[in-house]
Amino acid sequence: MVVKTLSPMAVQARADILEFELVNHPLDCPVCDKGGECPLQDFTFRHGYPTSRIDGPRLHFKKPIPLSENIALDRERCVLCYRCTRYYDEVAWEQELTVGQRGVQSFITSQFDQPLQSIFSGNIIDLCPVGALTSRVWRFESRPWDMTHTESICSKCAVGCNVNLWQRRGQLVRVTSRENDDIDEGWICDRGRFDYTDVNDPSRLRTPRINGAKATWADALATVSTGIKGKGAKLGISLPKDITNEEAFLFKRLLDGPLRGARVKMHGRTALPAPIAATLRIKDLDAARVIVIVASDTESDVPIVNLRIKKAASKRGARLIVIHPDGVDLDRDPNTIHIRNAPGSAAAEVRKLASHRLLKSAGGPIAILYGDGLGSEEMADLAKSCRDLADAVGGNVMPLYRATNERGAIEAGVAGWDPLDGIEALLSWGPPPTAGIPTSVKFMAAWDHLPRPENEKADVLLPATTFAQRQGSYTNLEGTVQFLRPPIEVVPPLKESWEVLVELGAALGLTLDYAGIFAIQRDAAAAIPALAALAQPPSPEPAPEPVLIGPAHP
Amino acid sequence: MAELRGSFGEARNHLLTRWFGTEDLHRLDVYESKAGGYTALRKALLDMKPAELVNEVKTSGLRGRGGAGFATGVKWSFINRDAPGPKYVVVNADESEPGTSKDRYIMENSPHMLLEGIMIAAYAVGANQAWVYIRGEYDGPHRMLVEAIAEARAKGYLGPKPMGVNYPLDIQLYRGHGAYICGEETALLESLEGKRAQPRSRPPFPAVKGAWGRPTLLNNVETLSTVPWIINNGGAAYVKFGTEKSPGTRLMSVSGNVRKPGVYEVELGQTFRHVIMELAGGPPDGRELKVFWPGGSSAPVLPASMLDTHTDMEALAAARSMGGSGGVIVMDDSHCVVKAAARLLRFYAHESCGKCTPCRVGSDWAVRTFDRILANEGSQVELGILERVADGLQNGRCLCGLGDSAGWVIDSTFRHFREEYEDHALRHTRARWWSRRPSSSASRSRSSATTTSSTRSAPAVSAWSSSPRDRRAHRQAARRRSPKEWW
Ligand SMILES: Cc1cc2nc3c(=O)[nH]c(=O)nc-3n(C[C@H](O)[C@H](O)[C@H](O)COP(=O)(O)O)c2cc1C
Ligand code: SF4
Ligand code: SF4
Ligand code: SF4
Repeated sequence: MVVKTLSPMAVQARADILEFELVNHPLDCPVCDKGGECPLQDFTFRHGYPTSRIDGPRLHFKKPIPLSENIALDRERCVLCYRCTRYYDEVAWEQELTVGQRGVQSFITSQFDQPLQSIFSGNIIDLCPVGALTSRVWRFESRPWDMTHTESICSKCAVGCNVNLWQRRGQLVRVTSRENDDIDEGWICDRGRFDYTDVNDPSRLRTPRINGAKATWADALATVSTGIKGKGAKLGISLPKDITNEEAFLFKRLLDGPLRGARVKMHGRTALPAPIAATLRIKDLDAARVIVIVASDTESDVPIVNLRIKKAASKRGARLIVIHPDGVDLDRDPNTIHIRNAPGSAAAEVRKLASHRLLKSAGGPIAILYGDGLGSEEMADLAKSCRDLADAVGGNVMPLYRATNERGAIEAGVAGWDPLDGIEALLSWGPPPTAGIPTSVKFMAAWDHLPRPENEKADVLLPATTFAQRQGSYTNLEGTVQFLRPPIEVVPPLKESWEVLVELGAALGLTLDYAGIFAIQRDAAAAIPALAALAQPPSPEPAPEPVLIGPAHP
Repeated sequence: MAELRGSFGEARNHLLTRWFGTEDLHRLDVYESKAGGYTALRKALLDMKPAELVNEVKTSGLRGRGGAGFATGVKWSFINRDAPGPKYVVVNADESEPGTSKDRYIMENSPHMLLEGIMIAAYAVGANQAWVYIRGEYDGPHRMLVEAIAEARAKGYLGPKPMGVNYPLDIQLYRGHGAYICGEETALLESLEGKRAQPRSRPPFPAVKGAWGRPTLLNNVETLSTVPWIINNGGAAYVKFGTEKSPGTRLMSVSGNVRKPGVYEVELGQTFRHVIMELAGGPPDGRELKVFWPGGSSAPVLPASMLDTHTDMEALAAARSMGGSGGVIVMDDSHCVVKAAARLLRFYAHESCGKCTPCRVGSDWAVRTFDRILANEGSQVELGILERVADGLQNGRCLCGLGDSAGWVIDSTFRHFREEYEDHALRHTRARWWSRRPSSSASRSRSSATTTSSTRSAPAVSAWSSSPRDRRAHRQAARRRSPKEWW
């Protein structure tokens, strides 16, 4: 087939359509957040008529309209391409966005004017080819060309979606999706997109403090080391969900050395055991004929994996079997088989599945995804039953870890699940323990980026970097190691996280002789087989991709 | 029984309307005893195989009467009768085309003829369930169909074993919601499914994926009402009427400036002179015929000089028009073509579903341009805009025929009545400097004209806040709102 894109008819059709698009367009490009990265601008520039004959009044709508906390809708700019409603309907399986009225009066609206609820709502901002849907978090922050962006990884959950982090004057101003077909296919969830303003919090901690008074790093780390040294099991270490592989490796060195015997609790994790054999890749879900989802509300646990499941079901005809006590959003597929189990009995239900009609004649790959039922399930048993089922019916499993780097921390051996009560000293790396600080704690050191009530009790408070400043890598739930690229500089007195750990090691008497992150990555790769990918970090500045392709003068 | 306006009684070309006018024809017993009703269904169910039915319709050369004129037998054969799962028949009784009332004529006079046709079609394509999507405003025809279906159910023609044959049949009625676009086949299916009536992109065609994703046969009321005659008399007998490529007869609803408006059954191939001047009596005394729409408002217009055009689809295509829905709209010389075109464009702009850019924006832009021309503010620029819009609406730039139709209105009136447009746009204009002065009465009246036109077409939601008063109110409201409220 030959498609002629430059025939006079095609050229004129494009120009005509673009002229129509601009008949009622407000042309407020100078104050539009999309200006500069707007396909309507680009296409009009490239394909439109050079002069305008539109001099009548334009259609007006009340604007802008908040569609939700995070998204604003400008109906005058909307070109009614129906991408947003189609995305909602076909990809997200939500019915929240629709069209009102008809003809030229048509407008996009949320169902019954209620705020959008979906955790996938933010993608319509990226999808919208004009500035009709804009982020309220970023609104009027800057022109797109005033920012620089770096290709990084979302730090909010274990899916590891690829994102672009946009920086302007040392502030993180925007997070957008970056397509990686193996993982996210260009979608990110609202947590990843909008949950970043803490990075720019003016009250961010910048200097170390001892008992509330400013101190030097050397003094602070010396105090920490005296406070936690030789405490054995009386020392508790709280780790955050987004600890990097490099930090995890350094912690492992500390735990094998001076901090031997300390109790470690990693927060936000599922407590799923380490995978026994190779697990399923996210992209493998596309080919699955039957997908079994056990003890996980994927929409909140692993949002973008949830979209993959939906795609497999609606576009590729996969059948879904859900084992979960409550309703989940995958039930919107009328063919979903939902087995409502009593909490704690998921493993038993999984064992019953082995003789299920669908699994016996699946006609293709079978994927078995399991979560932890928010702690209600007996994890080892569930993991084993899923693995057994996979072996019995010839499928593969995917443990749905929740914490960003849970899988990496498990591989590094620091993903502890120890109770912290009864400890005397606490090293809180990241946000304070969710269960509160045990009353028995006599000495507390915290590494955190925000002042919080819990941190006021800390004897030593160390200023932390955020995901937008941190170097390092995450291992996502399927085991892929991906590298962070910080868009924001670490300005002294702030220190890189690995630097803090290296110096803490020195204060504790352990020589961690690293001058930079690459050396840590090389050592980690050699020490931990699952992190072998760390030996080849990508170049920090990827080559810019051309925006326009094709001849310069059509 | 209401007075019949149109064809009825015995005549060579009265295939459909032969028994119209018979007392109580809408009753099942009368339809059976006097009009020989349901013999075709009996023949189809008892003596013929589904494939034979399809072949008979193919032989007849019957073409769809809904608008596009697609060969009906071919459409039937697209449905794979042996595919597993349900299949449906959907009857397009939405008849919203301006100037068309032939389906109503059938449903009001002989509802059982339609039901019989539906049942035969359902049997032929392997469907057990049929829907009649009937225009919401058609109260009378709806009532008559309700009664007719009840009668057919009582008699057992609709039910588990019609005529004793083990082939369950049922017909349901579904009332439309008052939008022209609901007549477009895929929008109709969306509406039938309970969604917003917006056309789907094709392929897949309804014959493959129609109502609720199932294979669906979609036909017009008149098309299906012709089927019983074809089954009774054979496809070969049908071909004897009409022309070679457009066999048979069709109902033409003649309206406008004629002495005897009504629905006339016409053998295809007759001239429009016969239809308009003889059957409908021509324009009133002292008036000359000026222009007519040969196939509903969607068909490009023809001037009086082309009265001798034949009614078959090939002749109409050669005259750069089309047979469409068979609605003949006649205007005499008391009318202004530009105003008529403007009125029609307003209809299309109002009825556009809003899916495609050219139709959604272009039709509205044309309305505003017409408004300016009619307010004597036209110029060569306005004419150029109209031509560009007309061009932008046609040739597959839109998803459904509504956009094309809107383009054809401009295009065909331009083709035949360019003089009149130029009179309006170039010679009736006020001096440009006067009309363009910002606060002149002329420009104020222009914007208020726009306001009324758009409020008339859609009262509820958005407003053209282009008048100074609107704008002032808008500003005040914005000031009252604290900026914090939203941001
Ligand atoms: C905008 C639009 C409106 C239409 N309205 C009607 C209608 O009111 N009734 C009808 O029978 N067909 C209508 N049609 C034609 C249908 O799409 C379809 O072609 C027809 O119902 C098929 O039936 P047939 O093959 O029996 O002609 C319309 C088409 C368009 C594009
Ligand atoms: S994606 Fe943007 S332009 Fe397209 S319909 Fe939605 S709001 Fe309008
Ligand atoms: S799914 Fe997880 S990794 Fe992806 S954007 Fe959401 S929070 Fe971030
Ligand atoms: S042509 Fe008009 S009515 Fe038809 S689908 Fe497009 S916008 Fe809707």
